[in-house]
Amino acid sequence: MTKSITFTINGKQKTVAPHPDQKLLDVIREDLGLTGTKRGCDNSTCGACTVVLNGKAVKSCNTTMEKVDGAEIYTIEGLAKEGKLHPIQKAMSESGAIQCGFCTPGIVMELYALLNANPEAEEKVILNALSKHLCRCTGYEAIQDGALLAQKLVQENKMK
Amino acid sequence: MDYKYIGKNYNRPDAISKVTGESIYLDDVRLPGMLHAAILRPDYAHAKILKIDTSEAEKMPGVVKVVTGHKVDFVYGDNIKDIVPMAVDKVRYIGEPLAAVIAETPWQATAALAGIKVDYEPLPVYVEALDAMKKDAILIHEKQEDYWRLPTLKPIPGTNVANYFKVKKGEGEDGFTEAEVTVEGEFNYPFGSSAAIEPHGSIVWFKNDGSIECWSSSICPFIIRQDLAHAYHKPVSEVRVHIPNIGGCFGYKSDITVEQTIAYIASFVPGRPVKWVATRKEDFTSTLLGHGIRVRMKIGAKKDGKLVAVKSEVFHSGGAYADTPVNVTIGATHNGVGPYEYQHALLEGYTVYTNTPPVGAYRGYGHQEGQFAVERLMDILARKLEMNPFELRSMNYLKEGKRNAQGELFWKTNGDMQGTADKIKEAVFSTPKPKEDDEFIYGRGFAAIMKSPKGAPFSTKGCYMKMNIDGSISVNMGGAEVGQGLRTVVKQLAAEALLVPPEKIKVYETIDTQFSPYEWQTIGSMFTVQGGLAILRAAEKLIDKLKATAAQPLRVEKDKLIYDGEKIYLKNDPSVFLTVSDVARGYIYPDNGMTVGEVAQSVSDARLPRYSNWDENGQGTLGVQYTFGAQACEIKIEKKTGKIFIDHFASCFDMGKVINPKQYRGQILGGVLMAIGATLSEELIFDEKGVIENPHYFKYKLPTIKDIPKLSTVDALENPGEVGPFGARGVGEHPVIGVAPSILNAIYDAIGVDFYEIPVTPDKIKAVLKEANS
Repeated sequence: MTKSITFTINGKQKTVAPHPDQKLLDVIREDLGLTGTKRGCDNSTCGACTVVLNGKAVKSCNTTMEKVDGAEIYTIEGLAKEGKLHPIQKAMSESGAIQCGFCTPGIVMELYALLNANPEAEEKVILNALSKHLCRCTGYEAIQDGALLAQKLVQENKMK
Repeated sequence: MDYKYIGKNYNRPDAISKVTGESIYLDDVRLPGMLHAAILRPDYAHAKILKIDTSEAEKMPGVVKVVTGHKVDFVYGDNIKDIVPMAVDKVRYIGEPLAAVIAETPWQATAALAGIKVDYEPLPVYVEALDAMKKDAILIHEKQEDYWRLPTLKPIPGTNVANYFKVKKGEGEDGFTEAEVTVEGEFNYPFGSSAAIEPHGSIVWFKNDGSIECWSSSICPFIIRQDLAHAYHKPVSEVRVHIPNIGGCFGYKSDITVEQTIAYIASFVPGRPVKWVATRKEDFTSTLLGHGIRVRMKIGAKKDGKLVAVKSEVFHSGGAYADTPVNVTIGATHNGVGPYEYQHALLEGYTVYTNTPPVGAYRGYGHQEGQFAVERLMDILARKLEMNPFELRSMNYLKEGKRNAQGELFWKTNGDMQGTADKIKEAVFSTPKPKEDDEFIYGRGFAAIMKSPKGAPFSTKGCYMKMNIDGSISVNMGGAEVGQGLRTVVKQLAAEALLVPPEKIKVYETIDTQFSPYEWQTIGSMFTVQGGLAILRAAEKLIDKLKATAAQPLRVEKDKLIYDGEKIYLKNDPSVFLTVSDVARGYIYPDNGMTVGEVAQSVSDARLPRYSNWDENGQGTLGVQYTFGAQACEIKIEKKTGKIFIDHFASCFDMGKVINPKQYRGQILGGVLMAIGATLSEELIFDEKGVIENPHYFKYKLPTIKDIPKLSTVDALENPGEVGPFGARGVGEHPVIGVAPSILNAIYDAIGVDFYEIPVTPDKIKAVLKEANS
């Protein structure tokens, strides 16, 4: 018997009755139709499926639905507000950090969790967070630039 | 020359949809009534199939159909028709499609695979070309000589050699009698994977009206269209292929890969679209691999360093089907001897059937595997001659008036090899090398490189553009955006050619063979050159149409008119003009609405000029548009761990014209890191049974942000080429070519040990350091 599970995602409450084999990524993509979160591997290595769960960046491909009951989730679709990009999205899109774009949503969500919790994070902490994500296109330099610019924009936003 | 919109940084037109998650990739496509497929892979890499029992699987929940190869009645391929969409009576590699389940959900399809029972009779397995070439080796394809193949391809009947390719210049091997010094070595560039973060996937729908519709993560929609039409006896126009956004390619999404298999599966459920997306494991085991190339090379020189002869044998473990590896072998053979002139050459390439997944395109297409050998040997030869390796190379560089091994004459417009080498020498070698300390040993290494656009003489790229009523422009092409940034390039080139700001240019977002202009395939670093040329030609035609239309109401001949992006005016009286909006859909007379002239739209295409097939000695114009470059690195080796750190990596190419400097740097850094991965950590490992031991990212180690060079230098020369738009050359594949030899040359510089094989892992370094200390 499948148990129903309730959570909020991008500020909206949802109740689902997932198949026992379904992980959070499957529910997000297949049941809720939020396809911005990507699947890049089978065993939580690549980071493409990263979402923010109760303020923490997690790999949704190995997150069981039990863990999600009552949780607050953000995906890439929840960041831009009223047609305006989140500062992290703006920074990444303007710094050359995007080529094929498949790893991008996961990286943006990683930074979203990190910079919300710790806007003053040291560069080393940012690099550690980015090292959980594989990108085959860019050679990472522009991603690093984008992340540091994102931090600057997030800090400026807070001061406003 | 001053350009308004090229040579400058513009943001990618697709950046925002990619950073918001709105960008649609293959796995994001959902169709009404869509079913899902899962594919069974064999337990053996080479075996006869005795029996497949699908009865249990058919009863499992959600299962609509279980498919086996019993109905396969065709072979396919564009170079050699040797591939089957699903194994028929035997399996030839570990990832081959053996059976499939179609179900209502992907989970149901995957679960039902356990219900398929297969009986096998195992056969001997060959992983390495040299083993499959042994006299007593059994044949992986019993009657390969019966397969259709391009007339230029030559199998060796009764063997596992699917193709033999030869280049002979001058006296060939006999040329070595003139040599005073020779060096030789055997070099191995093992199996790897392009390993894009988006795995392969496809959707195929056999529609009730008799047409076939397909969506795929491919860069070759027009080849898929043609191949599916051929296999299912349809007019090409009855097959429609869509290409959504692609999450990285690097080669292995070119040619036809998974589409014929998914089409075969979908053909059992006409009327319903069937989707399949590879797991990461399947992406490693069941799509195209890279490399698998072993090169034996020998170089002969005079005592003063003048090169006289080169011999190379390229042994390519091509995999179970030779259609996709065959041209990689040929590329590795004729492009493998670097940017040098030799009086005599004998280059031989063997594409060999092995029980491994087929090798296909991988960024560099044979260049890096061959030039790995020649650039290591140049350093070894310099040592033997007691010469400075830069001087040795300089004496022999291809340049205006020289001929490469294919006998092609080089022109000034092919670019400046020496100039790029000088830039890199200055960037990396102008300061003293750090001395060994307690922790590290330091080394520096260099590699000169040459890249040809490996393609085909008939390769074409098309461009359709229309000017809208407000003067904005829509540009439609068939080139696949895989992340390389061609949409930005299209925007900038069209802006420059049409004299309008890039903001007014809307670049196509997807490819659809029903509407997109024909493009052969987006390969070989050719898009900027060929696609760009098509843009310039289409723009010229469009401007001509605007003038022809304006000439009528202005009552003047069109060659008396000037176009400036906004207006068409009289040459000798600019006050007499019409705006582009006035004439974009023909000129409409304001008094009575009568309309004259044509809608401002145009179509054009471009190929590479002088590109030809080779003669029986491999002589001909096989490259045409060459690019030269140089790369070098500064490394340090940690004594305790054997780990190699890249302190500095420098690249310089003669680009002719850099269209977008930021994208150029991004392209180079991405390519360099990909090849650092191949050099230091990435290798797909097969056991003796042909099973891949590490088909996962956590075992096949892609570089992370922690592995990037501490410093990266990216430079360019801009000596215009004569083919590409505004003199531009391509750059997509180039940065991978010199990475392995420059790092291995640096390792020698540091510890005095020659490596001939990659990846050079910390364990291998530790072993040689230990040996040196004992």
